[in-house]
Amino acid sequence: MRADETDVRLHERLVAGDDDALAEVYDTWSTLVYSVALRITGDHGGAEDVTQEVFVRLWERPHAYDPRRGALHTWLCVMTRSRALDRLRREATRNKYQAAAAAVAAGDSQAEVEEVAMWQAEAKAVREAIQALPEAQRDAIMLAFYHERTYREVARELNIPEGTAKSRLRGGLATLADHLTAEGIIEH
Amino acid sequence: MGVHIAEILGAWALDAVDGEEGARVEAHLGECSECAAQARHLRTAVGWLGIERTMNPPTRLRETVLDEARRRRPPVLVRTLTGAYAGQVALLDRQLGELGPEDWSRPDPRHGDVAGLIRHLAGNDATLAADLDLPVIPMPGDRIHAAWRRQADILLEGLADDADLDRTVTLAGRDEPGSGPLRRALVQRAFETWTHLDDVRNLLHHTPVNPPPEQVRRIVSLAVTLLPTAVAAQGVTGRPGSGWLVLTGPAGGEWPLPLGEFTIRADAVEFARLVANRRSPDSLEYKVDGDRHLAAQVLRIASTLGCD
Repeated sequence: MRADETDVRLHERLVAGDDDALAEVYDTWSTLVYSVALRITGDHGGAEDVTQEVFVRLWERPHAYDPRRGALHTWLCVMTRSRALDRLRREATRNKYQAAAAAVAAGDSQAEVEEVAMWQAEAKAVREAIQALPEAQRDAIMLAFYHERTYREVARELNIPEGTAKSRLRGGLATLADHLTAEGIIEH
Repeated sequence: MGVHIAEILGAWALDAVDGEEGARVEAHLGECSECAAQARHLRTAVGWLGIERTMNPPTRLRETVLDEARRRRPPVLVRTLTGAYAGQVALLDRQLGELGPEDWSRPDPRHGDVAGLIRHLAGNDATLAADLDLPVIPMPGDRIHAAWRRQADILLEGLADDADLDRTVTLAGRDEPGSGPLRRALVQRAFETWTHLDDVRNLLHHTPVNPPPEQVRRIVSLAVTLLPTAVAAQGVTGRPGSGWLVLTGPAGGEWPLPLGEFTIRADAVEFARLVANRRSPDSLEYKVDGDRHLAAQVLRIASTLGCD
């Protein structure tokens, strides 16, 4: 495999101890790493911790990544996935109710390097499921998830009672979860 | 199933509850298997929402991650500074490679033409090389591009990891050269190379390019270090006070300017262009709280700190 020239150069700089190179890697790939971490951990705090672990590890042990063996973003994805699953497993032992979630996420761990491509297919199914939600529920979920609004803020922004905001979030998520279960994307 | 808890589970799964409500839900989940199963089901769906669209991490996470990384493995500053310089050299090299023969004689307001501009840049690179006892490449009449590149490579390859960054060397100046520590000279080489890359792009009517945020911050810090002496040399005095330079954008930050009572607010990259004398205080967009007159004078002096 021919190594990507940008990745080779960045890797050389990381090995040499150039911390601007780490900043550059972060600026290029933190959105991907954070999104993957968030998908697996399901919470923002967990995704932040995983994101930090992944980039700090790349800086501390740059030789763990070898540009001849693949693109930097693939390595970051694999590392993110593995760190996020570790975290989920650790939490699962603490929180019984999360054990099944960890099992689901760990179940497809063979995919590894093909992760990104696999997600593209799954992403399509997920997108369709989200689009299929009634607009009122979708709007409420998007506000809470992407804009980190509380249900009270969602209620204010959509000009609806708080009880309605709560039921839209719950109803929308339940429909989505049922849909993804029916599609085989998540296990019941 | 607790009725009140059940109805809030969707919001909880989305982290859309306050801390107290969250704690109440989590306490309940430990006791109620029905709600726990529902919570798991909902949160798994939330995990998949992230795939629908990528999600930016919170802005503050960047500094947290970089600080922690630097704490765990201290950077090799020589490599950071030469890495930034190498990045600008690579960009200018590519840009010069795209020039046609006629582009080299495009008029440049400061150095005659593009050829003169690159000769000027290579001359300042050569001065530093000479100070460091590195080879100096004679500047030919033609093949200026190759000669400049060779001189830059000599600087990039000539510094060891443990080079003494406090060693005094010549600093390029607008009117006459000064002197200062090598660390400052290396920031200046990257700064000047970027400035002239921007000049060449401007002459070709291409869009400007911004350096990475860390590099812009070093340029700003360099200017802030040089300002008090430059301001004193101009005989400008304000009331003693705690002035601030508050810059925005990816390279944003706050720098103390103890020259008087004022706060100047501007975009960080635009401020760096002011220091390079590619913006005048009149063409820079900025706001001032406090002593407006003094702030304007400080900006005017800041615009003389680059090396043209």
